[in-house]
Amino acid sequence: MKLIKAIVRPNMVDNIKEALGKLNIAGMTVTEVRGHGRQKGHTAVYRGREYEVSLLPKMEIEVVVPEGSVDEAIKAIIGAARTGEIGDGRVFVMPVEQGYNIRTGEKDVV
Amino acid sequence: MSVMGPLKGRPSTGSGRPERVEVRDVVVAALRARLEAALDAARQELVASTERGEGGRQALARYSEGVDGIVRELVDAARAQTSTPIAVCALGGYGRRALSLHSDIDLLLLFGGPIGRPEERFVKALLHPLWDLRFTVGHHVRELADFDRLETDNPEFLLALMDLRQLAGDRDLADRFDAVLQASSGQWHPQILEALVLLTDQRHSQFHDTLYQLEPDVKEGPGALRDIWATRTILKLGGDRRHVPRMQPADWLSEAEEFLMRLRSGLHLDTGRNLNVLSYELQEKAAARLHYTEPDGRRQAEALMTDYFKHARHVTRALGRVRRAALPPPPTPIRLIGENLMWVVEGITFADTRSAAENPVSWIRLFEAAVSRNVPAADDALALIEKEQETHHYRPETFHPTAEDRVRVVQFLRPRPGLSARLSEMRDSGLLGAIFLEFNEISNRVTRDFYHKYSIDEHTLLTVRNVERLMNHPRFGPVLRELRRPELLVLTLLYHDVGKAREGNHSEVGAEMAAAMMDRLRLDDEARQMVDFLIRNHLKMSRIAFRRDTEEPEVVKQFAAMFNTEEHLKMLFLLTLADVGAVSPDTLTPWKEELLWRLYVDAYNQMTLGYGDEIIDRKEALVAGLQASRPADVTEAEMASFLEGLPRRYLILFSPEAIYRHVRLSRNIGPRDAHFFLEKQSESWELTVVSLDKPFLFSNICGVLAYFGMDILRGHALTSLSGLVLDVFQFSDREKFFERNSQGREQFDRRLTDVLSGESDVTALLSGKESSVLFRRGPARREPVVYFDNGHSQRYSILELVAEDAPGLLHRISRVISEHGIDVDLVLISTEGQKAIDVFHITRGGAKLSEDAEAALKANLERTLKESA
Repeated sequence: MKLIKAIVRPNMVDNIKEALGKLNIAGMTVTEVRGHGRQKGHTAVYRGREYEVSLLPKMEIEVVVPEGSVDEAIKAIIGAARTGEIGDGRVFVMPVEQGYNIRTGEKDVV
Repeated sequence: MSVMGPLKGRPSTGSGRPERVEVRDVVVAALRARLEAALDAARQELVASTERGEGGRQALARYSEGVDGIVRELVDAARAQTSTPIAVCALGGYGRRALSLHSDIDLLLLFGGPIGRPEERFVKALLHPLWDLRFTVGHHVRELADFDRLETDNPEFLLALMDLRQLAGDRDLADRFDAVLQASSGQWHPQILEALVLLTDQRHSQFHDTLYQLEPDVKEGPGALRDIWATRTILKLGGDRRHVPRMQPADWLSEAEEFLMRLRSGLHLDTGRNLNVLSYELQEKAAARLHYTEPDGRRQAEALMTDYFKHARHVTRALGRVRRAALPPPPTPIRLIGENLMWVVEGITFADTRSAAENPVSWIRLFEAAVSRNVPAADDALALIEKEQETHHYRPETFHPTAEDRVRVVQFLRPRPGLSARLSEMRDSGLLGAIFLEFNEISNRVTRDFYHKYSIDEHTLLTVRNVERLMNHPRFGPVLRELRRPELLVLTLLYHDVGKAREGNHSEVGAEMAAAMMDRLRLDDEARQMVDFLIRNHLKMSRIAFRRDTEEPEVVKQFAAMFNTEEHLKMLFLLTLADVGAVSPDTLTPWKEELLWRLYVDAYNQMTLGYGDEIIDRKEALVAGLQASRPADVTEAEMASFLEGLPRRYLILFSPEAIYRHVRLSRNIGPRDAHFFLEKQSESWELTVVSLDKPFLFSNICGVLAYFGMDILRGHALTSLSGLVLDVFQFSDREKFFERNSQGREQFDRRLTDVLSGESDVTALLSGKESSVLFRRGPARREPVVYFDNGHSQRYSILELVAEDAPGLLHRISRVISEHGIDVDLVLISTEGQKAIDVFHITRGGAKLSEDAEAALKANLERTLKESA
C-alpha cells in the first residue's frame, strides 16, 4: 500500500475526486492547509496599503492505494490538478506498512 | 480475592466434602440470580413503557425503585463485614429517581467512623456485584468527619449532594449527616451556586450557546434535562421561589422534563448505550414512538423537533429567570427610561402593562431600549408580548402603522452589541415572526444536510450575532463600519434563508418572500434593490471563493461584474462571512476567511482600479437594450456617439433613465459650455455635469460644492475617448444652504456656470473660507495614504488616496493634480464615515505617468494633505 499526498489548488479538489473515482478510488481525506512552494505568495494592495500574502490557501488530499494503482492515481491527480501555472501543487508518495478498519478491527488487504 | 468478588462461584477444593465456603457460594449465587431477575424485570418494564412512548418520569422512577431494591439487598448482604455505622445514599440523577436504562448510578457510601479493612470489605461486597450486574457505578466513599471541611475543589460532588436520597443503612447516621449538611449549608450553598452557574456556562459553550441544535443532546444540551435539574437546584439553593410561579406556567418544567425523559429513554433503548444525542437517523423513530401523526416520517420528525425546541426554550427561560433571581442583582437603579418603559434589575420592562398590551407599537420600542443599553428585555415584558399574541391576531402593519414607525423597525436592525440576543427574545416571544411574517415559516425548521448544526431560524440569528462579532475584527470590522446602510445587511440576513421553507431554489424564493416584506415596510428603491440582490446571490461568493480558481483574472472580473457598487460587494462579503460562520462552529476556518478576503480585495480592486480599460462595445447586449428602449427624443446616433469610449462600468452604474438624461445633457455642447442638472434625492443631492474636457474642470466643480458648504459623499467622473466629460456628485447639504435660502439653487447654478465658463475663480473664492476656523477640523486621526498603481490598467496611472475627510479636500487634491499638467480621466469618489477614499485614473499627454512625475505629484499631494489637516 502507498499513501499519496497531494497539495493542490482549492478549486481542483472536485476534479481530482472525480478522476480518482473513475479509478474506483473512493476513500480520501481532504484537509484545508496553507503554505507555499515556489509560488511564494505575493503582495496585495487594499486601499493603497500593501499586505503580504505569504502562505497561500491549498488543499491537501490523502489517499491510500494498492501498489498496482499508484501510477494510475498519480496520473489522475496530476491530470486533474494541472493548469500549467506556478502554484499547481505537489504530489508525494509514501509507503504504508499496515492499515486497519476501526469498526471491524480487520486488517486491510490491499 | 475479595469477599464478594467471586460471584461466579469458587473452584471446589477437590475433597468432595461440602465446606462453609461452598455454602456461602451457593448463597451468593442465589442472591445473584435473584438480583439479576429483579433487574431484568425492572428493565423489561422500563423497555415496555419506553416502547409505548411512556418512558417518562413515572417509568424512570419505577425503574429507579427497582434498582433501589437491588442496592438494599446488597447492602444487607454486605452489612456483616463491618460494625461501623453506615449509610448508602443515591446521588445525582439516581437520587432524583431519574435513572434511564443505561444510566450510571452514583452512590455515597458514608461511614460513621474511620475507614479500615472491614469497611473496605463492605465497599467491595457492595460494588463488585453491582459491576457484575453491569452497572456503571460512580461511588464516593466518605467518613462523616470528612464533612467537617467543605470539598470546595469538587463542585460536581457538592452538586450531587443536592439530590441525596438515603437508600439503606443506619437511619441515625443519615440523620446526623443531614444535620451536618444543614448546619453548614450557609457556608457551602453559595459556593455550589457559583460552581453550578460556571459549570452550566461551560456546558452551554460546548454547544455554541444555543439550544437550536439539529441533533440535540437531550441530557447535556442547552434547554435539556441537565438545565431542568440545574433550575431546581438553584431554587433549592436559595433562588427566590416567590418569583417562579409568577414568571412561568407551573407545569412548563414538568412538561419539558417528561418529554425529554421519554426521548432519552428511547435513545437508550435504540442505541443500547448511555447515548443522549437525538441524531437524524433516530428522530423519525422517536417521533413514531411518541405517536406523532403527521403523514410521513420526515414531517413527524420535524414536528418532534418543533416540540423539542419549544420545551428547550421554556427550560432555558426558566433557568435564566431563577439564575437572575438567585444571583446578586447588578447595581441597576430602577428608573423610567421613556414612554411607558422602565429599566429594572431583569432588564427593560413596561411601566404600565395594560397600556403596553393596548399598544403593540411600543413593543419594538422596548427592544430598541434594551439594545441601546445592551440589557435583556425583562421576563414579564416578554410574557406579556407572548400572551397578547396568543389572544389577539396582529397584522404586521400593526407594529409599524406610520412612516416613522417603519423607519424605526428598519433602523432597529443596525448591527450593535446585543442585537442578536434581542432578536432571539423577539423570536421566542413571537414578535419577530409577527413583524417579519415570512420569518415564521422557518421557525424551528430543520435543514437535513451534512453541514448545518442548527435550525434555520437559529442559523439566521447566529448570522446576526456573527455580524456583531465582525465589528471588532481587525480586518473585517472596518468594512462593516464603512457600510452606508448596515441595517440592510441584517434585514437581508433575516430573510436570506426564508425560501428554504418552500419548494424551489431558496435564494429566488427567498427574494420573492422578502419583496412582500419590503412592500409592507415601503422601503425605497435603493434598499429594495440591495436586499433583493443580496438574497438572490447570497451563495455566490462562497461558491466562487471555495470552488473556482480566483487567481484567474477572468474569474475575478466576472465576479466583480455582478456588483453595481462597492457597497454591494462589501455587503455580500460580510453576509458571506456571517452566513458561513453560522453553519457550525467549525465551518468558517481561517483558511476560508483568507479565501473570501482575497476574493473581496481582488474584486474591490477590479471595481475601483481595473475598470478603466474596459470600454463600451456598441454591439454588447446592454447597449442593444438601451437602444431598443430609448425614448422617442433620443436618436440612435446620438446615443451611440455619447457612449463611444466610456468605460463599460458606466452601463452598470447608471439606470437607463439616467443614461438618457445624460445623453440629453450632452446635446449642443460647446468648449465653454457646461450643462448640468441638480436634483434632490431622499437624503442627499445629486449634481450631474456634462462638459467637454478642459484643465481644472473636476477641481472647479469640487471647489464650487465646497464653496457652498456641500459635503461630497460619493461620485464618479468619466471621460469618453472624444473628450466628453460626465461628472456625477452626490452630496449632503451640510450647512442647509438650499433649505435656508429661497434663492439658493439659482445662486448655486449661477456660480457653477461662472466658474466653469472661466468668469469666476473658485480658488480665490475659497481662500477666505479655507483660512476660517469654521472650515478647519481637528487634527487628523489617521495618516493619509497616497498610492500609485501603474500595473492595474494598461491606459492609466492610478492614484489611490485615503485620507481624513475635510471640507474642500477633493478640490485641493484635484487642483494639485491639474497643476502638474495631468489629465483626470476617471474618478471614483467615496466617503466612508470620516474617511475619504478617492481613486483617480490619470494620464499626462495621453500616456501613463513617468516615475519622476509620480514622485513629484506624490510629494505635493502629501504636503497638501498635511496642510489640510
